[in-house]
Amino acid sequence: MKKHPVSAVVLAAMIGGATVSQAANRDTISIVGSSTVYPFATVVAERFGRSTQFKTPKIESTGSGGGLKLFCKGVGANTPDITNSSRRIKASEYNDCQANGVTEIVEVLIGYDGIALANAASAPRLAISLKDLYLALAKDIPGPDGKLIPNPNKTWKDVNPNLPATTIEVLGPPPTSGTRDAFAELAMGGGAKRIAELKALSDLSAEQAQQIKAAMAKLGLPAGLYEAMQEQKGKAPKGEDIFETIAYALREDGAYIEAGENDNLIVQKLDANPNAVGIFGFSFLEENGDKVQGSEVDGVTPTYDTIASGDYPVSRPLYFYIKSAHVGIIPGIQEYAVEFTSARALGEDGYLPDKGLIPLPEDELKEVEAAVKALTPMSM
Amino acid sequence: MNNMSKPRSATPTDAIRASLKKRYARERRFQWYGRLAVLTGFVFLFILLADIVSKGTPAFTQHYIKVSVDLDPATLGLPAEPSREQLYSADYLGAIKAGLRAMFPDVSGRKEKQQLYRLLSMGAEYNLRDKVLDDPRLIGHSSEFWLRAHAEAGSYLKGQIPAGSPEADRKVKDLQIAWLDQLRAEGRTESRFNTTFFTQGDSREPEMAGIRVALYGSFFTLVVTFLIAFPIGVSAAVYLEEFAPRNRLTDLIEININNLAAVPSIVFGLLGLAVFINFFELPRSAPLVGGIVLSLMTLPTIIITSRAAIQAVSPSIRQAALGVGASKLQTVVHHVLPVAMPGILTGSIIGMAQALGESAPLLMIGMVAFIMEVPGGVTDPATVLPVQIFLWADSPERGFTEKTSAAIMVLMGFLILMNAFAIFLRRRFERK
Amino acid sequence: METTTVFLVLILLTVISFLTGRKRSHAVTSGQGGARALHSLPKHYGYMAGLWALLPALTVLVLWLLFESSILASIVKDDMPGELWQMSESEQGLYFNQVVGYARGATDADMLDPAQIVAGDHYRALAESSRVIKALLVFVIALLGALLAIRRIHPKLRARNHVEKIFKWLLFSCSLLAVLTTLGIVLSVLFEAIRFFQAIPIADFLFGLQWSPQTAIRADQVAASGSFGIVPLFVGTLLISTVAMIIAVPVGLMSAIYLSEYATRRFRAFTKPVLEILAGVPTVVYGFFAALTVAPFIRNVGEALGLHVASESALAAGLVMGIMIIPFVMSLSDDIINAVPDTMREASLGMGATMNETIRKVLLPAALPGIVGGILLAVSRAIGETMIVVMAAGLSARLTINPLEAVTTITVQIVTLLVGDQEFDNPKTLAAFALGLVLFFVTLLLNIIALYVVRKYREQYE
Repeated sequence: MKKHPVSAVVLAAMIGGATVSQAANRDTISIVGSSTVYPFATVVAERFGRSTQFKTPKIESTGSGGGLKLFCKGVGANTPDITNSSRRIKASEYNDCQANGVTEIVEVLIGYDGIALANAASAPRLAISLKDLYLALAKDIPGPDGKLIPNPNKTWKDVNPNLPATTIEVLGPPPTSGTRDAFAELAMGGGAKRIAELKALSDLSAEQAQQIKAAMAKLGLPAGLYEAMQEQKGKAPKGEDIFETIAYALREDGAYIEAGENDNLIVQKLDANPNAVGIFGFSFLEENGDKVQGSEVDGVTPTYDTIASGDYPVSRPLYFYIKSAHVGIIPGIQEYAVEFTSARALGEDGYLPDKGLIPLPEDELKEVEAAVKALTPMSM
Repeated sequence: MNNMSKPRSATPTDAIRASLKKRYARERRFQWYGRLAVLTGFVFLFILLADIVSKGTPAFTQHYIKVSVDLDPATLGLPAEPSREQLYSADYLGAIKAGLRAMFPDVSGRKEKQQLYRLLSMGAEYNLRDKVLDDPRLIGHSSEFWLRAHAEAGSYLKGQIPAGSPEADRKVKDLQIAWLDQLRAEGRTESRFNTTFFTQGDSREPEMAGIRVALYGSFFTLVVTFLIAFPIGVSAAVYLEEFAPRNRLTDLIEININNLAAVPSIVFGLLGLAVFINFFELPRSAPLVGGIVLSLMTLPTIIITSRAAIQAVSPSIRQAALGVGASKLQTVVHHVLPVAMPGILTGSIIGMAQALGESAPLLMIGMVAFIMEVPGGVTDPATVLPVQIFLWADSPERGFTEKTSAAIMVLMGFLILMNAFAIFLRRRFERK
Repeated sequence: METTTVFLVLILLTVISFLTGRKRSHAVTSGQGGARALHSLPKHYGYMAGLWALLPALTVLVLWLLFESSILASIVKDDMPGELWQMSESEQGLYFNQVVGYARGATDADMLDPAQIVAGDHYRALAESSRVIKALLVFVIALLGALLAIRRIHPKLRARNHVEKIFKWLLFSCSLLAVLTTLGIVLSVLFEAIRFFQAIPIADFLFGLQWSPQTAIRADQVAASGSFGIVPLFVGTLLISTVAMIIAVPVGLMSAIYLSEYATRRFRAFTKPVLEILAGVPTVVYGFFAALTVAPFIRNVGEALGLHVASESALAAGLVMGIMIIPFVMSLSDDIINAVPDTMREASLGMGATMNETIRKVLLPAALPGIVGGILLAVSRAIGETMIVVMAAGLSARLTINPLEAVTTITVQIVTLLVGDQEFDNPKTLAAFALGLVLFFVTLLLNIIALYVVRKYREQYE
């Protein structure tokens, strides 16, 4: 160091400068959470920052689980004020929050994200039903004798003779993703319920243990599964629980490709491979009309209107959660939430629908807006 | 060999001469392998760069549209003597919309009007506000303003929309194209160098997005990384190569360092979260923490390469120095390190390049974030270039494709600058 | 006084101490034939004085900065009215955040209650005096240290040994940092990993042949099947890294040889930094390149040859990763080969060996330990890479050694699990920590083996 006095001084200034402002207080809103809500929350944050005197909130994209974990760590300037989530908070997370002193949480449902099924624009449009989708993608499907067998379908034609004879190749989100959960529940679950024996199973209540066991035997499921689930849950499982185990599992033999969560990449991969089908966020479909086309599911193509009306079956709710204890202390939290739920943002001509968010029906939006203004805490 | 006398019988020389042709051929082949290898590297680099540059170049221009806006206090909702506060929150958007409608009076119906308004960026409103705040005398007059075009309109003006593509396939509609053509014919559109890209932070509108925050964030982060990793890395390498006794502790340290090199970078992020943010309570999203985490991550690279470089220094240099009475430390500092410096610098360049391009560990410490305000120091929230690139690459808006590539170009520029400096240093030390 | 200023003044004091120490060493020997009577060079006495001024004072400064805000806070809190103590700890934190904000001038007084304003003023006053005391303390310690050292200066004082000892300890502590980092890493993943192993038996995890976290999607299905088997991930990691090394090692090593032995100086000076750019291209770029250019190309070629190639393949990811790590192998090997003494080259060439014989028989063996180090570093980078694998090889964990199939790596799984939408007490997320821990110990084991192998080899060579 002594040989280079200049560099020593520069170094000194740098290190010194580093230690000066150990910020113990904070006046910027800190938001964490889902990468699906991120593109919408940032739009609001930007408008909010530009049009008010408050600082622009800092929004991290951490994933819903990571966001809630940070959010529930406690109250205080070093914890986030708001977390975005592409699913509802789970009971275990809510309890974690309570245990750490985050007692009052305001839940805000902001709208829906359509999950589009699409293929390359250069290929013929795919028109399938939920049942086709289930039969194409489920890990195990009922075989000819009614027992579950590993999915033998190789091409779409095997699933349904009306479909083209191309190989089943679907690019979709990995199991850790909220998009995947929603897809499994709505598309796979929905499709499986079109098959009589599975539908019957799902309708059985916990009391009908005998019928459940009989249905399971008919499907060729091991009897141990029932006991294992009972042990896990601590009570008798419903038919629905068994049904979910069967219906929500996706193939792992290469027909379903877990493709990470970069939706732009999926779009480009579809563009390059006319045989493939992709599952991704609706906003990406809207932006890339020249490369991909939405597939018809049960006769409905994913468009803004069909998703909003609920005709298109696959969409999922998006939320954010506010830590009430921070409101009034970190400046601007409530104002931000009000901006988010205002008609300017979420109304039919608002700037969020313009970005691809499917808004709530008008009366529900009014309710949400009122809840934000009153900061009504949620309970579970 | 020409003046050799003719061979009388089979001697070793003959055997050698006979094998010469083969050996030379092998030699030539070997050289070609080398050329081929270097060429391979160049080809890949060229492909990557060409792709990036061709995609990213359009991002450096930005289109503006000249609109005549009547800043009538009544439309703006302003009283006679407006305060600064009132000027700040006046309805500029309304005035701009009125200006657009006045230019195209036959536009009617809500859908058409919306398309018309979509020619301009959402930022136009705020740019106009800033102009008025700078010069409140504009109020009450009608003047011409160059307002920022929307990214979609801009992409048409840049010629990125192929003519004759079906309307349903693109975001810019036929009507908008007609309007834009008319505006262009009237000389009301203009292309300028996109300064916003370098002066602003992130934005969700492609035409407003800039990399200033990420650039500063990367700079601060790397300064911290370098200041920690380089001195500590070289010191550790010197200790291990020159001073360390051969014992269990040294073995432990050595194995640890090699092992750290193979730890996935995101795990360093977990460490940073647990130790620096949760335990030492350093601020989240700050380049300070990012720099510390990245320095821990690059340390193994620097130590391992520095050790290799120090090891390669010929022992005769050490012996000579020790022989004339230099102490161990003097030998190392005055004689060994200067010779080893090119290798040490190479390792540091590679380590720093790795740190510059890393985004996974920063996720855990809050640097994968949307930040509009430019950081002023190492403790302000910031993001870094690779994170910005990752976030933009993941954005649905088409306009971000070119911004992504442009940000990559900036990152590469940053890298080249950093390398150039290191090469300058390396040159000064290198001798064969 | 700001910390920066304190720091700068401290540096200045160090420099002054250095100069004084050096001067003093001249002074004490003025009657005894000048500097020649000293045990060490005059500058060593200077270094000694400088170090004595700098190190203790710097330690105090760092400690002060680390604990300043928490000590200030506790003093102010102690003097605050009782109502503060009725709040829960986290509420206290928030309440106090406003106090600190006010003291720093960031929060307006009208948002606060009177008690907070009093406390804020108190805090500000304390912070002010803390700044002054800190500066004074640091300077006094620096001066004392320097004085002590300077007073000890005497012709017989072995200043050089003294200074070198200090430096040796400094160097040692630098290398100890690696051990601390390791400790930190283990501690920061251990806790969550243990929670994971409470839900999933460790044997199932280590020896399971199936990795499909999806079946454990619901809390009630965790134990339903052994779906957390790490073997496919290890095989996938190995497969992709191997492909990458098959590209990177020959190309990188041949480039290095060519550059250091055949190329002109100018060509080398130009080529080396240019190719090093490859190491700095963001991995997103490689990811897109792999997924959109290389993978379809491989698929088309494969199908033309009648092979079954998945759209996502280990080959595409490995190939592109190989390109990325070419500079690691090239640059590091080039430096090492270049550092082999010229005498060895000349001796070999003088014996009539061709250049390529010299390289293969003389230079490479001599440079081997360094080259192996570079390659190991490159392997480490390949193991740690995520983006390329996610984009080009996907996330499906399949137990295969066919590079034309889709596989995934441990690192990719760690990242995906951590940034997913699942809750954090779910084994699916906790698995990330367990994976990190296991990967850590496996590489540790490999490194221990590598160390002994390399050491054995090196001893033979030397």
